[in-house]
Amino acid sequence: MSSLSAPVALAAQLALLSLISFGGIPTILPDIHNLVVVTKGWVTDREFADFFAIARAMPGLPMILMTSLIGWKVAGLAGALACAVATSGPSCTAAFVVFRLGHRFRDAPWQRIVLRGLVPVTVGIVIASGYVLARAADSHWQATAITAAAAGLMLGTRINPLWILVIAGAIGGLGLI
Amino acid sequence: MSRSAVLRLPGGLNTGSVMNTLNSRADATLGALFLEFAKIGLCGFGSLLAWAHRVIVDERHWMSEAEFADTLSLCLFLPGPENANISIYVGSKFRGPVGATVALLGLTAAPLAVGLVLGILYLQYPHLPVIQNILGGIAAAAAGMLIATGIKMLMPHRRRPTALFFAMLAFAGIIVAKLPLLAVLAGLVPLSIAVAGVMSRRAE
Repeated sequence: MSSLSAPVALAAQLALLSLISFGGIPTILPDIHNLVVVTKGWVTDREFADFFAIARAMPGLPMILMTSLIGWKVAGLAGALACAVATSGPSCTAAFVVFRLGHRFRDAPWQRIVLRGLVPVTVGIVIASGYVLARAADSHWQATAITAAAAGLMLGTRINPLWILVIAGAIGGLGLI
Repeated sequence: MSRSAVLRLPGGLNTGSVMNTLNSRADATLGALFLEFAKIGLCGFGSLLAWAHRVIVDERHWMSEAEFADTLSLCLFLPGPENANISIYVGSKFRGPVGATVALLGLTAAPLAVGLVLGILYLQYPHLPVIQNILGGIAAAAAGMLIATGIKMLMPHRRRPTALFFAMLAFAGIIVAKLPLLAVLAGLVPLSIAVAGVMSRRAE
């Protein structure tokens, strides 16, 4: 019984949180922590922190990988897949419906004005996110130099960004940071 | 290079409408949607957004610079990861609900498989310093890529002082005042839209 009820309860809770996850992982992380660590004890605090670090370091969507790792711990591969679907399904369906509605009103003059007001705020937030990431990653001047070089290459050249990541990873792996 | 990206805008700022159709429909097959979004997902260490922008705007021209910024702005007000929502937007724009599903699967499935395998391996050997160092280098570069993406998105608006002003306010709200994202949005967005409304009325 408990082997089945735990992943089902987890997936149901994640599906609910998915619908209110405005702004992504940071907004619902406390709720997830409360459920899986504090209330249910499915995952230890240490594991939760490790899952978070892994989710940030891996490619892909951190929120989905994070909940999948929790699902893996609770119920193996089936738990991981159930959590991936529960985390992305509801919010993605909501997004699809909103885009369809937006399409219907695409020529309304108010939509242009709303977007002209919205976009500068969005851009400020994107640059601020990059700045926050940079401050977390740049513990030494060498790392700051890599951040600056990566930004410069992205803006000034057409280089494939994969090379930037490979070179930066190699510099880090050689212990030069 | 950013100059050419700006010049490519069809109609520049006037293409404010969401779901504005470009001429790239033929190359947006289901297979292409899946593969391109898988590429974004697999390459997107640290910052998916920089890769999404690169592939969708610079390489495939599936969205103009303005349309990308518009869509991302909308995504900030939707639940869920913004990159997943961008994949749904692009997929449904070209291929309807099936396209949205395929693009989302491309973005999520392959990276999730890789992430689960590597993540579970990493948990067995958590403190290998070489891995920590490599990840440190990648994280530093990914931060720079995201800052560059923000600057590129700002370029079409560089001649609008009010746009630069609100971008700066949003940045300061998060970095200097350390306000939560929702507070910054709730405080600035109504004001920014009101100013945009007044400016467009004055322009007429």
